Amino acid sequence: MTVGVQVKQTLAELKGIQATLKTFAQSGGNKEANALLLKNARRVALVIEKMEKRLGTLEFEEPQYKGF
Amino acid sequence: MSEWLNILLRSAGLFALTLLLVRLIGKRLTSRLTFFDLVTGIAIGVIVAALSLNMVQNFAGGLVALAVWTVFPALLYLLAIKYKAVRDILQGKETVLINHGKVLEDKLLEARLTPEDLLGQLRKKNVFNFADVEFAVLEPDGELSALLKKEKQPATPKTLGLAVVRESVPQTVMLDGVVMDEPLAAMGLNRRWLHTELAKAGVAPENVFLAQVDSLGQLYLDLFDDAIQVPKPRARERVYVSLKKCQADCELYALGTRNPEAGKMYEESARLLEQAVRELEPLLTR
Repeated sequence: MTVGVQVKQTLAELKGIQATLKTFAQSGGNKEANALLLKNARRVALVIEKMEKRLGTLEFEEPQYKGF
Repeated sequence: MSEWLNILLRSAGLFALTLLLVRLIGKRLTSRLTFFDLVTGIAIGVIVAALSLNMVQNFAGGLVALAVWTVFPALLYLLAIKYKAVRDILQGKETVLINHGKVLEDKLLEARLTPEDLLGQLRKKNVFNFADVEFAVLEPDGELSALLKKEKQPATPKTLGLAVVRESVPQTVMLDGVVMDEPLAAMGLNRRWLHTELAKAGVAPENVFLAQVDSLGQLYLDLFDDAIQVPKPRARERVYVSLKKCQADCELYALGTRNPEAGKMYEESARLLEQAVRELEPLLTR
């Protein structure tokens, strides 16, 4: 498995986490918990953004693994 | 009028009357019985019993006695709410039996308690060693309250220095197979969501005895058919674990890459995820 594929997997997992955190925050709960969840969902989004940028470079270096 | 019919009518009438009069006294009588409450209760009971069995010649007199025994306590309870002096007479004061870990023998005598009584009451509170008690009070209703010494108290998240996040109460959304729409709406959910979740768990709605939703929208089920194992909601733990995994991944990439810029980026990501793990830990794992 190349680094590109690995990073892709992590990226997918991170996106899953972000979605679940947002779902948790959606479902009622209380304000304190919601704020905490949203704050960390944003944090994960930040990481996703960084990783996607890196993935662009990796795909350029290993074009044979491009796409999902 | 025959005797039995007389008693029947009397008893029925008194039954209704007593029901009303006891309501007048209020809820206090049943919730926390002091000695005075007990006396009042017994007096009312005896008067009613005597009246309904026609053991009193003067029926009107009996009714007056009944009225006095219900109205007076009711009035006294009202006064007691307002004046502490009345309260102290009516309910008595609490007696400190153990202070600073030492049994106060004179107070014990005052409360007419033998050492065995004290030990027995403590045992009821799951305290088998009197030396574990810092402070114990005999409440006016005869119940013993004990404060354990700090080191003997059960560990709480606070004493352990653990952070916790406040969560709202779970809502009961299905009872006895019937969907409760109001709690569902309170959580911002609807029947369709519930049916989707039930389908995910592979459970027929008519088989559900109880269903509760916690504050993160996780559905907990109990079925009529106890042979079926319901999967426990694991989303919290799953998110937590995969978050940790992603963090570890980032650290691994940071070590693996030869591009210093990318290495810095991965390190930064790992740091962010670590913060997220730390902050979410109380919510997702406790």
